[in-house]
Amino acid sequence: MVGPPERRLLEPWQDPKAQPYLRIERVTKKYGDVYAVDDVSLAIFQGEFFSLLGSSGCGKTTLLRMLAGLEQPSAGRIYIDGADVTDIPPYRRPVNMMFQSYALFPHMSVERNVEFGLRQERLPRAERSERVAEMLDLLKIAELRKRRPHQISGGQRQRVALARALVKHPKLLLLDEPLGALDKKLRENTQFELVNLQERLGITFVTVTHDQEEAMTMSTRIAVMDAGQIVQVDTPTGIYEYPNSRLVAEFIGSINLFDGKVVDRVGDEVLIEGAIGRPMRMRCLQPLALGTPVAVGVRPEKLRPCERYTDDGVNQVRGTVEDIAYLGDVSIYHVRIADGPMVEMTLANIQPRTEQALTWGQEVAMEWSPTSGVVLTD
Amino acid sequence: MKRNPWTLYTVLAFGYAFLYVPVLLLIIYSFNESRLVTVWGGFSTKWYGELLQNRQLLDAAWLSVRIAAVNATFAVLLGTLAANALVRHGRFRGRTGFSLLLTAPLVMPDVIIGLSLLLLFVTLQQVIGWPDGRGFTTITIAHITFSMAYVAVVVNTRLGQMDRSLEEAAMDLGARPLTVYLQITLPLIAPALVSGWLLAFTLSLDDLVIASFVSGPGSTTLPMVVYSSVRMGVSPQINALATLIVLFVTLAVIIAGLAMRGRREG
Amino acid sequence: MASSRIQQRPPEASGRPSRAARLSHWLNVGVPYFWLLVFFLLPFVIVLQISLAEPMLGQPPYTALWEWAGDAMVQVRLNLANYLLVLEDDLYLAAFLNSLWIALVCTLLCLLIGYPMAYAIATAPERWRMPLLMLIVLPFWTSFLIRVYAWIGILKPNGLLNNYLMALGLIDEPLVILHTQLAIYIGIVYSYLPFMILPLYANLARMDHTLLEAAADLGCRPAQAFLRVTLPLSMPGIIAGSMLVFIPAVGEFVIPDLLGGPQSLMVGRMLWTEFFNNKDWPLASALAIVLLLLLVIPFVAMQRWQQRIEGQRT
Repeated sequence: MVGPPERRLLEPWQDPKAQPYLRIERVTKKYGDVYAVDDVSLAIFQGEFFSLLGSSGCGKTTLLRMLAGLEQPSAGRIYIDGADVTDIPPYRRPVNMMFQSYALFPHMSVERNVEFGLRQERLPRAERSERVAEMLDLLKIAELRKRRPHQISGGQRQRVALARALVKHPKLLLLDEPLGALDKKLRENTQFELVNLQERLGITFVTVTHDQEEAMTMSTRIAVMDAGQIVQVDTPTGIYEYPNSRLVAEFIGSINLFDGKVVDRVGDEVLIEGAIGRPMRMRCLQPLALGTPVAVGVRPEKLRPCERYTDDGVNQVRGTVEDIAYLGDVSIYHVRIADGPMVEMTLANIQPRTEQALTWGQEVAMEWSPTSGVVLTD
Repeated sequence: MKRNPWTLYTVLAFGYAFLYVPVLLLIIYSFNESRLVTVWGGFSTKWYGELLQNRQLLDAAWLSVRIAAVNATFAVLLGTLAANALVRHGRFRGRTGFSLLLTAPLVMPDVIIGLSLLLLFVTLQQVIGWPDGRGFTTITIAHITFSMAYVAVVVNTRLGQMDRSLEEAAMDLGARPLTVYLQITLPLIAPALVSGWLLAFTLSLDDLVIASFVSGPGSTTLPMVVYSSVRMGVSPQINALATLIVLFVTLAVIIAGLAMRGRREG
Repeated sequence: MASSRIQQRPPEASGRPSRAARLSHWLNVGVPYFWLLVFFLLPFVIVLQISLAEPMLGQPPYTALWEWAGDAMVQVRLNLANYLLVLEDDLYLAAFLNSLWIALVCTLLCLLIGYPMAYAIATAPERWRMPLLMLIVLPFWTSFLIRVYAWIGILKPNGLLNNYLMALGLIDEPLVILHTQLAIYIGIVYSYLPFMILPLYANLARMDHTLLEAAADLGCRPAQAFLRVTLPLSMPGIIAGSMLVFIPAVGEFVIPDLLGGPQSLMVGRMLWTEFFNNKDWPLASALAIVLLLLLVIPFVAMQRWQQRIEGQRT
């Protein structure tokens, strides 16, 4: 695996002395013989916006529900702020959840919904109404106070659900597909609003999503899950630029994978020969024995047309443009390599499309730099 | 959706006519002057007057109403518990047997239920001395046994449609299980509880066969009086009684409908 | 992560439910279960037992199945005569067959009338569905006995139907309908029709209309689409409705008694007569047991279908 470059920000997960705020230790959840969550360990720090990302059925929601206490782990422990909460029922956990369906109580007004959690704490009425009013103002839904959930829009319901969970000042806010029920435009606006809210309140957020874009925009870190296990935990940049496996590489965005074998090592670069017929040279800090089968992963936007395609050139491929998908800001080119795979290249449309040089059936040579890809071993 | 072919609506019209014409005739002839129920002899309300004088019938009606009310209350309790068990307790041991036992009373012929319960009561009295004779208690127990199955069906449907995450959300917000049940689940299934109660009440008020088996001397229910009077032949008093029942039920349905609409819009 | 896969999984928690959960389980499952066991299942055991006893004069009017014969001996006397009688006597056999036949005919009639009605309601404009459905349920809330009684006034020789037909000049002689099998059919179909319509409606209303559009799009004529798409998909509703009509109809008492007259041959009436008029409790019990055994098959079939529907829904 290629080591990431030094980070600019001070990040708690980089600091060996930092104490995690939420610690998940070898948690497993079994339904019959099926492992929904299989031996997962995670450390999440205070103030993080952490995302569990994966396709449906990967166990992310089950993990979230175990954090809320709605499911009991079959094995493993969960610590929040140093305290073991594994056996604590949901109603005594300092954790609140925003449900995917929002789960607003249909027989209560917006105000009563938000107040519900505070009533359970038996807080005095004055404090309750003060906190409710404050939260309704913060989320700009004060005028909906007296309405019932079915009388407000989807976006407004989402805010009520958020207010209802946040008003309890939880140590941890869990969000199950927080934006899943909103339409695309609203979703984009809400993403930024959620992040702002989280930074302002300083509450640690753990969210579950299947939408990689959503996870990339909002999260401090992302855990990619598959088949009940965590495959990679990293920052959005880390996940995208330095995936640690084919699975993550292909799950997040698109990537071109060129199979090959390690044939030589020069300093921190390795030489790989394989499918595309000519050598590839990649930066790789991981110690790899000669002959190791690997795949070189290059994102479509990291490819660029090359001027000089030579017989001994490294990191070059050539093929014929078969398809062009025009997306406005960029175009995606599907290039068929002679007896090889289809390669995807993305180019920004700097000039109007009509003036672009590349067209169907045209032969094109492409190259990438040794630092703009990854070497994957599995 | 495409419009319905007229044949369908014709069938519908005939179907409703089939269901309602007999009841309408019953009502019309309750205002018949003549004792011969089927010959019109002029308008009169005298049968209502006689009905209200009929001591035996009124006593039976009062007994039936009391049994029906007690029955409905217990049936709602037990039926709701049973529905909770089916929906909320998933796969417990003996679940298949439980749901079999719970559905069987829905279709079991009345004569079988009546006979078997009578034999149970007789045997129990022999063995443990309870119940002491038959009457109010035995009829009520018998009615609860089959009414609870109906209530369970109604509540089960409602519980099944309910979004489970509402209860989870309440728990997540700090409500203990009992609080969740009382503040979230019960209000949300309340309409089912009300209709379950009314259904159980009606079923009990309507039952002739089972009550005939398990009743004792001195505990004659309304259907038993109606039955023996009907066996004697048609009687205009029964028409009057039928009219009152239809009137009562229709009013109840209209009020319930208005109340539901009010709730939905409020 | 990859490394942790090699390690042994940590031991699993015992998963013992909390006290509150146990209490809730005990209350929700235990209480109704206990009630049903005592007041629904146990009675059948007793019926079985008494069906093997002999009738006698007394209170209760049957012999005990076992008695102490001294010297630590229990004498058990099982009397199979009741069953032999039920199975050998033509009258009882005829009553059983006739009950099944009547129930079958009535189920088919209910289906024939109920299916188009349910279909019409399910495809009616949205705002009409609830009122239409209410009108189906409404008679169910008024007294069953009285609704059966209404038909006596209509069907009897000098009843409303005959008066009306004669006034129109369509017939000269009153039709004899009351106290015939036809009257029983009418009574049962009339009383049980809502039981057929409701499950059918529930099933048809849930059906995805785009399926029919897809069938039409693929070249199916409306009639074909109905036969190949709607009808097979409404099978669960048909089964449920049919069982709700068939099973109780077999043991019906009130309708054959009031409309079918003294000659009507149905098990429910036989049982009633043996019990109330002849005071032969063991024979009545034997009839009940045989009837019960007959009904077990359709009942189990109904349960199977119900579970299948539940399975589909989840």
